[in-house]
Amino acid sequence: MADARTTQEKIADYIKTKMPGARDLALSDFVQTAGGWSHEIFIFYANWTENGRAMRQGFCLRRDPGAGLLRELSSLAEQFRVIKALEHTAAPTPKGYWYEADPSLLGGPFFVMEKVEGEVPNPWSRAGKQFYGEAAKRGKLPRSFVEALASLHNLDWKAAGLDFIGVPRPGKDFALREIAKWETLISQSLRKPEPVLTEVLMWLKANAPEAPRLAFVHGAYRTGNLIVKDDAIAAIIDWELQVIGDPMYDVAYVLSDLNREGSPLLSCVVERDFFLDYYQQITGLTIDLEVCRYYEILYMMRSTAFWLSASGLFAEGRNKDLRLARTTYSVPVVLDMAARALGF
Amino acid sequence: MIPAKQLLGEIAESLRKVIAPAIAEPFPKAQAFMAAVILEFVARQVEERSDIADEKREALGDLFGSLSRLDRVNGIVGKGAVDEAELCRLIERLYGERKRLGEEAFGAANGAVRETLRKLLDQELKVAGKGEG
Repeated sequence: MADARTTQEKIADYIKTKMPGARDLALSDFVQTAGGWSHEIFIFYANWTENGRAMRQGFCLRRDPGAGLLRELSSLAEQFRVIKALEHTAAPTPKGYWYEADPSLLGGPFFVMEKVEGEVPNPWSRAGKQFYGEAAKRGKLPRSFVEALASLHNLDWKAAGLDFIGVPRPGKDFALREIAKWETLISQSLRKPEPVLTEVLMWLKANAPEAPRLAFVHGAYRTGNLIVKDDAIAAIIDWELQVIGDPMYDVAYVLSDLNREGSPLLSCVVERDFFLDYYQQITGLTIDLEVCRYYEILYMMRSTAFWLSASGLFAEGRNKDLRLARTTYSVPVVLDMAARALGF
Repeated sequence: MIPAKQLLGEIAESLRKVIAPAIAEPFPKAQAFMAAVILEFVARQVEERSDIADEKREALGDLFGSLSRLDRVNGIVGKGAVDEAELCRLIERLYGERKRLGEEAFGAANGAVRETLRKLLDQELKVAGKGEG
């Protein structure tokens, strides 16, 4: 018999099983957020009584819809394990509570984590740009932005048990593994030949840099993937692209024009010179701008892979979200950026 | 790029099945349903731009012709179709044979390929870019 319960009711029933001591548990402020291209995100509060006292706690639930942006490359199980591993480090991240692989519970695998209080202004919106621009003038958020990134690059990823996500061999292996990963997504998504992309891929393979040191790399470190509270980074979120790799990969993402859409500030929040100086000061690493330029082009290829995947899912009828359809027009635009970066 | 007819059909469906039913106000609700109806008519009117395909074909023909005349490179120019799929294969062969070709021949061929890639990209940007006007 079909399950007539709403998603909210199913989630409430699930949370009750996980908190058997919570009496009269009910959910409030239940919202499915508009963000999230790979997973559906639900934010809510659980309210209950315990020893006669009223209790309230915020949760965030990520569910795999089965046809998300990264297709088979996205693993909620891995994301949950990463969040659990980071709980005991200096990196600001939400606490992870429960992971469920069983699709019968909510229609797909999901995990539940802490709802970290704060806000995530959209850096592409006018209001978001204004928010980050004003915070930049006050100076505290740009420092926190750099410090949170440094907390990832400075952490002992072996001691944190993060090597399960895969450790590249010395030399060019990191860059080549990244290229291979996104080439897999491209081959799953491609609906027509893309010779410009072929040229970009071949150039990337022919010019892969060596990674002189390895760090824990977020893979999409930018405003929009950071929860901000009181002008500080309260949590780094969106854990689905992390790798053990060259820390310059994250630095390049911060430096990239892809993440500032006309703002003079990196990631719409931090002055370039301040970022370069302060990052080097608190990590002890030297930023290699030539290598960063290479990774910026790799990100353009990765963005192309994302948009080919998104528009492909829509064209194949596997995902009806019109935001995915719109990305069909983003493919030539990002390939144009890559071509210009390569001089043609 | 997703074909225009398919996109218009999907947007009409979204308007009819997702957007309009979620609107409570009668006037905007009716507007959303009407937009779906009009888009279905528009989908029957539109044709994909043939000028883009024509320009691409011409650019590809010129490239394959000129590469066939380039010493050392002519051996890796395929004898089959002159299209974007073949250009992808040619690019892969060029990089694969780079050592044998030598930097000078590789550079000349790669330069010609990139010039053509720019032409192909410019055609796609007629639709996806900021517009031709």
